[in-house]
Amino acid sequence: MSSIDRRTTRLIPLLAATAALALLAAAPGARAQQQPITVQARNTAIGVCGTCHGPDGNSRNPMFPRLAGQHAGYLVRQLKSFKDQTRGDPYAVAYMWGMAGGLSDPMIDALAQYYARQKTGPGRSHDPATIARGKDIFEHGIPAQGVPACAACHGPDALGSDMYPRLAGQHAEYIMKQLASFQSNMRDIAVMHGVALNLQQPEMQAVADYLESLP
Amino acid sequence: MRPWSCSRLIRPSWLARFCGLLLLSGAAVPAWAVPSFARQTGLACAACHTVFPELTPFGRVFKASGYTLDNLQQVQAVSSRRQEMLELAKTPALSIMAQVSYTTLKTRVPDTTNPAAPGLTQNGTAGFPQQLSLFYAGKIAPHFGAFAQLTYANDSGTIGIDNTDLRFADVAVLPHKQTLIYGISLNNNPTVQDLWNSTPAFGFPYAGSNANVSPLAGTEIDGALAQDVAGLSAYAFWNDSLYLEAGLYRSAKQGQTNVLTGQAGPLDGSASNVIEGGAPYWRAAYEYDWGANSLEVGLYGANFKLLPGSALGTATPLQGPDNRFNDVAEDFQYQYIGEDQIVSVEGTRIHEKMNLAASYAAGAVGNVTDDLTTDRIWATYYYRRQIGGTLGWFSTTGSSDAGLYPAPAADGPGVVTSANGSPDTRGLVGEVNYLPWLNVKLSLQYTHYTKFNGADTNYDGLGRNASDNDTMYLLLWFAY
Repeated sequence: MSSIDRRTTRLIPLLAATAALALLAAAPGARAQQQPITVQARNTAIGVCGTCHGPDGNSRNPMFPRLAGQHAGYLVRQLKSFKDQTRGDPYAVAYMWGMAGGLSDPMIDALAQYYARQKTGPGRSHDPATIARGKDIFEHGIPAQGVPACAACHGPDALGSDMYPRLAGQHAEYIMKQLASFQSNMRDIAVMHGVALNLQQPEMQAVADYLESLP
Repeated sequence: MRPWSCSRLIRPSWLARFCGLLLLSGAAVPAWAVPSFARQTGLACAACHTVFPELTPFGRVFKASGYTLDNLQQVQAVSSRRQEMLELAKTPALSIMAQVSYTTLKTRVPDTTNPAAPGLTQNGTAGFPQQLSLFYAGKIAPHFGAFAQLTYANDSGTIGIDNTDLRFADVAVLPHKQTLIYGISLNNNPTVQDLWNSTPAFGFPYAGSNANVSPLAGTEIDGALAQDVAGLSAYAFWNDSLYLEAGLYRSAKQGQTNVLTGQAGPLDGSASNVIEGGAPYWRAAYEYDWGANSLEVGLYGANFKLLPGSALGTATPLQGPDNRFNDVAEDFQYQYIGEDQIVSVEGTRIHEKMNLAASYAAGAVGNVTDDLTTDRIWATYYYRRQIGGTLGWFSTTGSSDAGLYPAPAADGPGVVTSANGSPDTRGLVGEVNYLPWLNVKLSLQYTHYTKFNGADTNYDGLGRNASDNDTMYLLLWFAY
């Protein structure tokens, strides 16, 4: 055996020892349960949810909604509707039914509190004309088409409340998907179904762009 | 299409027979996405895959985390000190996968079974199944998971161990909300543990015929040692972007016994191409994600010292000169994963430097040192994960060696020979896919060679052209 071979051979027990140590370190499975729920929720939010939603809830991928600054009450209701499989839009079914399936009620509350506390990011700029049109629809609705003002429920600056979600700064792509799901009733909310039915595609896009532009 | 490195160390007189057998009858085909992960997590395939087996960013994190994310009811045991002693899913993470295929070659190959009555083989090979696999894929215990595959293959007609990756992993949350996934992988195929689909084990073509003619040359890290080794590696994945891994591989022969004791070991000279000591494997990659896009660039490599043993024709004790292969590779992967459209572009270049002292001393190769470079690049498009296709280009070039890539024997059949001793092979492979369901794929794949074993025309010295090996492959592939 050459000296190089001896070196590499010596690495084998070293690597095996590393593996054994790592396994030993992880063996006390009760470790996670002994941590306060807020710490568990923070670790879950950053380590698991964060892969799609971003570690602080400011997701970079428009497929996944921004959760930073979202109201805790709204988040709790959504997580529970994923868990009991009553929210039926495509991404809820494919992703969130599974992700939320194992969450306990205290964990749901703690996760919601975690996201509610996070700072929101800046808005994303869009064509000023589209934003102006979106702002107008958001603030005044389109009475001729029977579309009420979004601001009536979501607030003048789209900051929402515990009852109605914050929309300011949300990804336009995500809002468009939700409006389509309200339209098709895959996400079954009577009020939003009525609103979405009466909105044309360019009007939806204008509102979505306006909302994404807000901080 | 993937060039199997079917022992460049074998003596020329054996090569045609051994390689011909191996190449014409095929070798193990890689492994895949498995529905047991979906059952375990409650997540649809789309969470982890664009279209199986290509991973999404979330799929990479799931794999790095040891396949342990789960939402199943558990059987549990707790000690009086509240220590978890058992956490066992009530539903085992089992899956079954099948591949049913049909292969035709552009030009039939000679039938060498009866030298007194030369003829041609039947063209059009049905594989029913080509492959049938049972997986345990999922969590075993907290922080400990497995992707383990047992496969029946129609070429061997037997059931054997296929790609296997046992992982221990954990995730640490660092200051500034950064994450560090770290773990250990125990696996049997270099790169099977990798997170990107640009590396050999899970690279394109994701499925291929085992009833085709494959070129002679291929690098060691490109599947030559698959299911023939045991590797232990430690890795860290920081912030879902920087990935570092290092490990060692050691031979783990299947179906090999010590001639003296009849036991599975110690390995003796009847084994072939046995790793001397431990073969180091290393990997570094960086991924940057923006919007629905992700881009990864990376390096990987390994250094294998192989003792030829019986590969040189007769049993030779596992000592003395060895053959050395130093593989260094670059890779990249780009993905755009939209609601309706998915685009991915992947590629790798593998450089191999060989020092074949053992084979040279035995007169089996023409040069002490040789080199080989394999390039592959491919682009995939899918519409709504239902209809899509991939177009790829591949090339292998290297130094000529009449021992490694031999001319046909005086009365030999050719086909798996090289008239000029060159390994150079290149061509295109394209496939179209239709997925009526996310776990059922219908593929039509065509491989076209512009160069094969060193030439485009009369490459084998007996009049066969590179394009005569063009292959059409129809595949039904499903898992449940």
